[in-house]
Amino acid sequence: MTEIALFGAIEIGLVYALVAIGVYLSFRILDFPDLTVDGSFPLGAAVCAVLLIAGVNPWLASLAAALAGAAAGLVTATLNVRFKILHLLASILTMIALFSVNLRVMGRPNVALLMQDTVLTPFYGLGIPDHIVRPLVVGVIVAAVVLLLARFLGSEFGLAMRATGVNARMARAQGVDTDAHVYAGIALSNALTGLAGALFAQTNGFADVTTGIGTIVVGLAAVIVGETVLPARALALALIGCVAGSILYRLAVQLALSADAIGLQASDLNLVTAVLVAVALILPRLKAKASRSTKAAR
Amino acid sequence: MIVVEDIHVTFGRGTPLEKHALRGVDLTIPEGQFVTVIGSNGAGKSTFLGSLAGDVLAEQGRIAIDGTDVTRWDTPRRAGLVARVFQDPMAGSCATLTIEENMALAAARGRRRGLAPALGGDRRKGFRDRIAALGLGLENRLHDRMGLLSGGQRQAVSLLMATLAGSKILLLDEHTAALDPATADFVLDLTRRIVRDNRLTTLMVTHSMRQALDYGDRTLMLHEGRVVLDVAGEERAGLDVPHLLALFAKQRGGAEISDDSLLIG
Repeated sequence: MTEIALFGAIEIGLVYALVAIGVYLSFRILDFPDLTVDGSFPLGAAVCAVLLIAGVNPWLASLAAALAGAAAGLVTATLNVRFKILHLLASILTMIALFSVNLRVMGRPNVALLMQDTVLTPFYGLGIPDHIVRPLVVGVIVAAVVLLLARFLGSEFGLAMRATGVNARMARAQGVDTDAHVYAGIALSNALTGLAGALFAQTNGFADVTTGIGTIVVGLAAVIVGETVLPARALALALIGCVAGSILYRLAVQLALSADAIGLQASDLNLVTAVLVAVALILPRLKAKASRSTKAAR
Repeated sequence: MIVVEDIHVTFGRGTPLEKHALRGVDLTIPEGQFVTVIGSNGAGKSTFLGSLAGDVLAEQGRIAIDGTDVTRWDTPRRAGLVARVFQDPMAGSCATLTIEENMALAAARGRRRGLAPALGGDRRKGFRDRIAALGLGLENRLHDRMGLLSGGQRQAVSLLMATLAGSKILLLDEHTAALDPATADFVLDLTRRIVRDNRLTTLMVTHSMRQALDYGDRTLMLHEGRVVLDVAGEERAGLDVPHLLALFAKQRGGAEISDDSLLIG
């Protein structure tokens, strides 16, 4: 693997680390399997790209992308909480709808960012090679998100959100408005995904409606890899695990793709990812079964 | 003080499984009274407790707690006034959160939850002192996950959690039914101590007539969604389990005669 490919993998890993953290929030903390991210990731990219072209400040454009993601999350949460549509289905509806919304936002299937200033522009002239600047800047943003989120989840509000996911009946008996916490959590999860989309557009120089396909699986893969390499109970460590998992996943993919002997093409990525996630989900079950049967034998 | 006026609850209205679970319960429970509730399966005990907690909203009638009409309040809103311990030790706490996190959740009951750290300041020390008083040695396990505790320990911690936010009403739904006899005795003694020390108005549902008479100062019997027996004071002190069984049979007979549908059924 070349140095450029290595830093490229780290960079894209860091961008998707925000997706992984969002997926961790919905799947793990709220126990709400939310596929909205497949739509909110390109939504964030689209909103950010269109605003950048309109001359908006890149930080404001990124914030707007996060807010758009949050709005998408609120739609899913409303369909589920208010109208009792199954969470998976609710999120699929939002995701499908967002495909059209994203086309509307951009006015065409993809938008290129050529000369526009991005959050990275101020850092390009500092004498550090561009392919290192990008992961550095994204890394700082991810670190800030991890710190803020760890603090948030340790707050009274955050604790109530975690209780909502673990035992909603108990949480309600302790005075937690569980519905409000589902809204807040799913909005936050998709806000992070929208922000990831904005960073993706700015680091890669384009927004495209098809970039969303498989976002959820990539996010899940990162969460699962993170849980495997960093099996931590402490929340801050679990969040760091999501980041590590996302980077490791990208490095593994990069390795697989650059090893000609395996014969994989870039277009095989989704298949490889899906197989990886399926294996990671099946393994613990097989392990538990094996340990049960050895116990039974004794 | 709890005032319940003629509450009715029907499940599955208009379906073949329609069940009229509460058929007009009237009750006044003065502050600090410890009431035990008995009744056969399906008598409406849990529904009655649920209607006080807000899980089940009464379709008719009125519920007031400490002078506030809470009839239409949902569970989270009532939680500031009412604390509960469930029958299933798993139900009353979060297994994957630590003991101190569970306690912090309970301590914020009825308050707005903000962005301040849930376990900041001297919170931890306060929790440690409170849990040490249980005498279970849990003060050194505050960082352990709740799921690592035994059923009895979880019920004991749940009882303690019920007292952290200063609610004055405690609802116990067969909270010792899932425990072995020795542990159940321990939890019941702890219940008595906690109710006395915090002067809680308490309703304890139990399936044991012995427990119903041994604990508390008033006993209710529910049958077919109505209160069919309500004894306190000397009358209750003179009762024994056989008496209670006899009364139960007699009241059931009385209830059946006054209810045509039961005679036909």
